Amino acid sequence: MDVPETVTAALADRQVEGQVCLEAGAGVGNATAGLLAAGAERVYAVTDDADHAATVRERVGDGNADRLVVLEADLRATPLATDSVDFVTAHGLCNVLPPADLTPIAAELTRVAKPDGHLVVDDYAVPPADAAVNRLFALENTAARMVDGRPALTFYPPAMLAAVFVDYGWTVERKKTLLDPVPWTEAHLDAHAEVVRGYAARLPDSLGEPLTAMADDLVAAIGSERTGTMYSLAFRLADG
Amino acid sequence: METRALGDTGQESTVLTFGSIALNWLEQEGANQLVELVLDHGVNHFDVAPTYGDAELKLGPKLRQYRDDIFLGCKTQEREYEGAARKIDRSLDRLGIDTIDLYQIHGLEYEDELDTITADGGALDAIREAKDDGKIDHIGLTSHGNPELILDAIDRIDDLETVMFPLNPVVAGKDGDEYDYEAVLERCEAEGIGTLGIKAFAKGSWPSTDELAEADRPYANWYEPVDTPEVIRERFDFAAAQSLDTVVSPGDPKLVAMVLDAASRSTGMGEARQRALIEEARHNDSPVPEQLHH
Ligand SMILES: C[S@@+](CC[C@H](N)C(=O)[O-])C[C@H]1O[C@@H](n2cnc3c(N)ncnc32)[C@H](O)[C@@H]1O
Repeated sequence: MDVPETVTAALADRQVEGQVCLEAGAGVGNATAGLLAAGAERVYAVTDDADHAATVRERVGDGNADRLVVLEADLRATPLATDSVDFVTAHGLCNVLPPADLTPIAAELTRVAKPDGHLVVDDYAVPPADAAVNRLFALENTAARMVDGRPALTFYPPAMLAAVFVDYGWTVERKKTLLDPVPWTEAHLDAHAEVVRGYAARLPDSLGEPLTAMADDLVAAIGSERTGTMYSLAFRLADG
Repeated sequence: METRALGDTGQESTVLTFGSIALNWLEQEGANQLVELVLDHGVNHFDVAPTYGDAELKLGPKLRQYRDDIFLGCKTQEREYEGAARKIDRSLDRLGIDTIDLYQIHGLEYEDELDTITADGGALDAIREAKDDGKIDHIGLTSHGNPELILDAIDRIDDLETVMFPLNPVVAGKDGDEYDYEAVLERCEAEGIGTLGIKAFAKGSWPSTDELAEADRPYANWYEPVDTPEVIRERFDFAAAQSLDTVVSPGDPKLVAMVLDAASRSTGMGEARQRALIEEARHNDSPVPEQLHH
């Protein structure tokens, strides 16, 4: 598979070769692929979603059997030993976490990192107020809250995510803009509408059907949009 | 318009090169006007080929009028001595000039072509002979689909001074060796070889001829081009940001004025925006699997 430019850019100035890595929130395996391509000694790709775990194995498993370990687990109890990982990546993870899980997961990522470990956190800045995609994201959050009381998406300004990790002893080494603007293509918007459909299916039809219809309408109305930025923060764990 | 050193040729080329194939679609008077427009924008590098219909003939009058202001690249698809020698003379004759500044082996596709070209009695013998005779100043190469072959050619042709190859956000987003023009750019940079970018304005392939007959295509390009001022500016800025020495304008005359404007007003493009274009192109190109994120 092609490694996205976002991942390549985030890793370009990091030591990856020969490193034991944790990809926290492996999703579809983009960052996992980037780490392997950059010569990681081993990548633990952790996701709590069985479909994602299968997707990662399928997309990047080939030829990497000895270097890739896909783990289906909750990052709040990351199944790795304390001080065992050289390099942690969280590429697009934080925006999908319920805000209450952010600090427990930051604590876990810190625990598994070696004392001289490194960390990269990539995420989206809060989209501009006039961005049309906000309407779809808001609908997604409404659907998620109706189903399980938590938002589907939360966007943090980079300074906030930096502060979360600094509180756990990390030092910011650099900040970089990965995308400016962020290209929300039709395919991305469809994927977000699919999330709404997933929640809608768990609601009574009287609630689910209008949610789905609104999501479809929004995707049609927005089409695609370039807006906002995606950023990358690189940290090192201060010694001692 | 910005100029950049064309490798170590000594030529300072404008960051836009005029793809003179566009002249083929115009009557002589229109061709003359287009060349005037191109020169008005300061463009000093023109590219032509004998296979572009009447382009050489239509370029001739204005080329001769402004010969000192134009660095001219021409090409040959011949692979052997006889053919290449004949084509050089024919192009000189049709253009009505004494010297072609840059003569390029055109459309290299297969390794065995490279064998033929570099062998005794190959096209390179004719091109080098023409260079000794003062008919040609510099030697170049073009290839549309094989970066590895370009690297091989650089290895095997010591006097190669420029290469021309495709570069746009779609190509830049693909990782396979067959798309690794970045390696070509790096190599050229290291060896002082000039680089010319083509297909900067390609949107995609034309629909199949079943869906859209060739005669019904709205543009003369080999591919479907981008065709709004905004996207043209974006594509130009992207290509010019890839450390190419110069970007060749698209083949349809209807697009040339927009491209000239884009190149004249270009102020560069930051890396985050370049990545945004690459990622957008990738996701528009049917993503598997569908993704929420970038
Ligand atoms: C949107 S993806 C991130 C993109 C991914 N890093 C990539 O490079 O393709 C977010 C991932 O985090 C996972 N995730 C969210 N919360 C989690 C948690 N508490 N524990 C483990 N994985 C989690 C999701 O299941 C999903 O696989």
